[in-house]
Amino acid sequence: MTVATIAPRRRWLRGALALRVIQSVVWSLVITGVLILMAGKNPIVAYQHIVIGAFGSWDRLVVGLNKAVPYMLAGVGVALCFRGNVTNMGGEGQIAMGGLAASFVALIGATTLGAAVVPAAMLAGVLGGVAWSVIAATIVLWRGVHEVLVTLMMNFIAWLIVAEFLHGPMGEIDAGFPQTPMFESVAWLPKLVTRTDLHIGIVLAVLAAIAAHVVLWHTVIGFRWRLAGASDRAAHYAGVSRARSGFGVMTTCGALSGLAGAIEVLGVHYRLIEGFSLGFGFIAIAVALLATLKPLWVIPAALFFAFLETGALSMQRQIGIPSSLVLVIQGLSLIFVLCAVGRGGRRV
Amino acid sequence: MDAALLVDFLSATVRIATPILLAAMGGILIERAGTFAVGLEGMMLSGAFFGVVGAYLSASIVVGLFASCLGGLLFAAIVAIATTRFDTEHMVTGLAANLLALGFTSFALRTIVGRGQAPVIHIPLLQPVPIPILADIPVIGALLFRQPPLTYLAFVAVIAIAIFLRRTRSGLLLTASGENPLALFAAGTDPIRIRFVALLAGGILAGLAGAVLSLQQIGTFTDGMTGGRGYLALAAVIVGRWLPLGTLAGCILFGATEALQLRVQAFNLPVSSYVIQMVPYVAALLVLAGLGRTARLPAAIGQPFRRD
Repeated sequence: MTVATIAPRRRWLRGALALRVIQSVVWSLVITGVLILMAGKNPIVAYQHIVIGAFGSWDRLVVGLNKAVPYMLAGVGVALCFRGNVTNMGGEGQIAMGGLAASFVALIGATTLGAAVVPAAMLAGVLGGVAWSVIAATIVLWRGVHEVLVTLMMNFIAWLIVAEFLHGPMGEIDAGFPQTPMFESVAWLPKLVTRTDLHIGIVLAVLAAIAAHVVLWHTVIGFRWRLAGASDRAAHYAGVSRARSGFGVMTTCGALSGLAGAIEVLGVHYRLIEGFSLGFGFIAIAVALLATLKPLWVIPAALFFAFLETGALSMQRQIGIPSSLVLVIQGLSLIFVLCAVGRGGRRV
Repeated sequence: MDAALLVDFLSATVRIATPILLAAMGGILIERAGTFAVGLEGMMLSGAFFGVVGAYLSASIVVGLFASCLGGLLFAAIVAIATTRFDTEHMVTGLAANLLALGFTSFALRTIVGRGQAPVIHIPLLQPVPIPILADIPVIGALLFRQPPLTYLAFVAVIAIAIFLRRTRSGLLLTASGENPLALFAAGTDPIRIRFVALLAGGILAGLAGAVLSLQQIGTFTDGMTGGRGYLALAAVIVGRWLPLGTLAGCILFGATEALQLRVQAFNLPVSSYVIQMVPYVAALLVLAGLGRTARLPAAIGQPFRRD
């Protein structure tokens, strides 16, 4: 260990941190505004349309809330991992495997399991995500390979496994698109409000964020995770196993990401579609960092990104500004937040 | 398997390996200097985009090539400023640059270039330049010496970087910055500057890797056209254990598996193309797990360095 690694960690006041995050988001909106100007459009009008598109009607609000669910769940998982000093980039693959496992149960269990099919499929999703993260964690901890490399590779493998199943045994025949047949309605995720598309996922996601907050700040396990993340030496001295806590955060993240994948297929698409989760895991990392790795802050951060996306899609339809604008805003906010917080986001 | 099929397979391998190889060479420079090169994907995409836009607006492919260098440089500079000036976490910064590049290129293609719609752009491709005499050797000539210019550049870059890292003062300084920045600093060289410059140089190579796709192979730009090749380049660097020749081998392996995947039916293989597509990633994982702790990263990679 060199001196370079034990440089003093910066400390921010709690309020100042929130201010810095908001400042970063504002800056990214300003710079994106300049891009919109360069494209010959009025940024104020564009942002107005994003807001109207996101909150303009009950239906749009519901789309945004549903969209926030996977970001929230996977974002909480990523926040826990980063707290434990595990740079887990495997959310993509874990969400995909969760969706695959849940679809499998939803397809074969709809007739035999009856009403129990939804919890069974969600459990399968969780287990799918956990299984995928256990493989990654094993390679990382047992063989000492860097976690980013392992999880990035495993994302590609997970996508290809999903593609293999959709083009093979699970695919709908003559669909013209790689997807499974639609699930029986008994396997659909229950709605939170009847006669709308709002499913119960948002409740589960908020509960997960609260639970993660409690575990992280008010339990021994959470303390161990934070300690292992903050300082190898301190953890070692306190008798906290770095490997055990690394395994703990990675599998917890796998469980949350797998659940996110299950909810997405059971609640939104009612079938498994190729590429259904594309980008979710990476957005979740941005969400977690925007939330400065605080599980409770993940809730507003995920909602922000989700509403930004639904708003931008509507803006694209209304005034023809491409919705890829959202990725610019997300990427810029992430970079600015990283710069504003520095390594401080990792502190205990 | 007859000879024509084999030659076709091998030339496809070279074609597919070329962009990955150029990006991986950029990745070696960046990582040996002590920065994780997750941002390769974004630099590549930006290079592909600016290359096409430059060539389209100026009607000159040379301008396009310069533009693609600048495109790679732009995102390398973003990563460099964030990681050196603001001490940000390298992996996540690279990821942010990738997100940003994906959004920016797609947005700019439609608005700034295309007036609201994705414009239809067709660029005349970079043509093969046969090397006299060598190009006439049977099989090998067509395979190695009748290639477009950027393919030659990629292979020259492998040799140049191998010599640079082992045999030049600057190369040794660069490696030292990734292994022990403190010692380097004590010896009177600023590791932060070296990391910065290495990132910019790597960005140029990654930008040209994007140009391989857009100007040499496809002739237009589509959203996210790099399709994860930047991450594959990263994997090739790891499989090649941060050495130029090893990385070349890794790139050829990845190129061969993808070429094989495209020819599953021609070769009558009993597995699906998706399973074959997994091979490079599984191979990378197995190599990583097999090497374990001996797959030694540059010792100080990812660690911030402060002058104080």
